[in-house]
Amino acid sequence: MKILTTVKKVVDVELNMHVKNGAIVEEGLQYVMNAWDENAVEASIQLKEKNNAETTTVTIGGGEDVVKVIRRGFAMGIKNGIQIDDPALAGADAFVSARVLQKVYEKGNYDLVIAGKQAQDTDNGQTGIILAEYLGLPCVSNVIAIDVMDDKHIKVSRLGDFGTEIVEIELPAVVTVDVAINVPRLPQTRGIMTAKKMPIQVMNLAALGASHADVVGAGLKSNIIEFIAPEARKTGRKFEGDAAKVTAEVVGLLVNEAKVL
Amino acid sequence: MAKVLVIADIKQGVLKSSTAQLLSKAKAIGAETAVVAIGNNIGSLVPNLVNAGSNTQYIADDPSLEMFSAGPYASCIVDAAKQFGASLIWFGFSESGKAVAPRVAARLDIACATDITDVKLDGDQIEFTRPAITNKVLQRVKVNSTQLVAVVRAGAFEATAGITGTENIVKLTAPAADLKAVIKQIISEASGEIDLSDANIVVSVGRGAKDQAGIALVKELADDLKAGFGSTRAMVDAGFIPHYKQVGQTGKIVAPTLYMAIGISGAIQHLAGMKGSKVILAVNKDPEAPIFNVADYGIVGDLFEVVPILREEIKKIRKA
Ligand SMILES: Cc1cc2nc3c(=O)[nH]c(=O)nc-3n(C[C@H](O)[C@H](O)[C@H](O)COP(=O)(O)OP(=O)(O)OC[C@H]3O[C@@H](n4cnc5c(N)ncnc54)[C@H](O)[C@@H]3O)c2cc1C
Ligand SMILES: Nc1ncnc2c1ncn2[C@@H]1O[C@H](COP(=O)(O)O)[C@@H](O)[C@H]1O
Repeated sequence: MKILTTVKKVVDVELNMHVKNGAIVEEGLQYVMNAWDENAVEASIQLKEKNNAETTTVTIGGGEDVVKVIRRGFAMGIKNGIQIDDPALAGADAFVSARVLQKVYEKGNYDLVIAGKQAQDTDNGQTGIILAEYLGLPCVSNVIAIDVMDDKHIKVSRLGDFGTEIVEIELPAVVTVDVAINVPRLPQTRGIMTAKKMPIQVMNLAALGASHADVVGAGLKSNIIEFIAPEARKTGRKFEGDAAKVTAEVVGLLVNEAKVL
Repeated sequence: MAKVLVIADIKQGVLKSSTAQLLSKAKAIGAETAVVAIGNNIGSLVPNLVNAGSNTQYIADDPSLEMFSAGPYASCIVDAAKQFGASLIWFGFSESGKAVAPRVAARLDIACATDITDVKLDGDQIEFTRPAITNKVLQRVKVNSTQLVAVVRAGAFEATAGITGTENIVKLTAPAADLKAVIKQIISEASGEIDLSDANIVVSVGRGAKDQAGIALVKELADDLKAGFGSTRAMVDAGFIPHYKQVGQTGKIVAPTLYMAIGISGAIQHLAGMKGSKVILAVNKDPEAPIFNVADYGIVGDLFEVVPILREEIKKIRKA
């Protein structure tokens, strides 16, 4: 089984972030592998260990931090890494990324694509699903377990609105995974050392056999006009001291001041 | 005139509140309204769909649509959107909505937005606002065409009192089943529980409660208040609480009148799911816990001591 796992460099959400003049202040930010993509990588490595799957990651983007994300995948146990780096892809949205990933998929004969449920920078949750539409492949999103049934079928569990759905999927297929699927392993020193020397297959659009028009079509479907700092909640009140006394006081406030009880 | 198609949110045969909320917003921006309802044996919901504010009801009612399947559901919505000539296609916040919206957008080749909190029309121009980066920023986004598919964030739009519509039923043909992704079974959540996303009060328990006994203590408080009972990812991962009760970025987004966070630290991913609540009460023994930054009322104390007193005090005022 050949697995393609999509991974993205995202801003570290645990660090402070500021907005100035409608833009995010870059200074002080750091970049990491998208949390959901770490789960996707872990899922594909588990399939390698259990079912002898061949593992490849692909990322769209350029720069040192993107390379680090690919190397982190290697250090966790991924075999091959592809980087699509082309200035024409700056500002790519989910549709453009999906078109690029489609080209990558078509070059590789993969049986399964594993994407993260969503990227921590966009919070979109669109790319994997749109990719499946473009490829005409079955797709199950929000997956929390993957089991190989045979060469042509997997069984997945998906968190849905009505409980956990058990779905049998014919391969090739696309799944997007939730953080609940596994606990991503931490790269070990040995893996990190090996990862440094592993080759990354870097391609631009031309090398991929795609033109700008192929992936961007008639242009982006939407544009971010500006970023806005969310309104902070007004500072509340903290009550410390004798539990019986403060609890009674707070209940009184919930009733008489906030009027919510 | 803008034409808004709302996807009816139906759960266990009941029409959820998001449908009227989205239709109210559609009317408020001067749009023509329609709703698409998908399922099996849903004919009896038509009056509810009308009362929620729709002027046309596209109904896909078929045994093959009994269980949610993203492909066929998307086909029904694309069909309705084309017949109606929809400019805006809105889903209420749900896992199904998040799974189907990108498919509909890809098939119609139009813009797609997750989690919108506001939308503005200026003639044909569509602009929307949404949070991103775990709610750390808001984005203002301009759509470059005249159509948009969007999942609306829970609690973003309010239902207008006295809203209603007119009955005009259009039956949709059921699409072919997805034979390549076959849903075999749904291990369903316990029925008869108060739905978190619809609850007026939500009580959530975090790792501070430690174990089943601690959880039971907080659950009693929720039961007293007839509140929805939620939790954190830490508790779900530990196997104490089922997934569907997780509040946060990867769980339910809730915006109740009152949210009680009991023994919850207030990680940004949890805040992303409840920060829109009207009033927040936090109980935590650590005075530095980040949850206190968003709480209107914070009690610094041991939940094992505070929760029983909370219950007693609430009982007292309920009796009075
Ligand atoms: C990609 C991603 C997505 C995530 N999505 C979600 C999500 O959707 N929802 C979510 O909740 N989390 C999510 N998380 C996890 C999140 O980062 C936190 O780990 C989690 O919310 C912590 O849960 P907690 O507050 O119960 O536990 P902890 O952080 O361990 O906090 C426990 C709190 O209880 C207090 N406490 C301990 N004992 C007592 C006592 N006796 N009385 C009173 N207080 C006490 C402690 O002071 C502490 O503040 C996500 C993480 C990632 C990376
Ligand atoms: N630039 C990218 N490179 C590689 N994978 C991506 C990229 N953008 C998105 N993805 C994948 O698509 C998932 C969902 O992204 P999004 O639709 O932006 O929320 C991510 O978790 C990644 O797995």
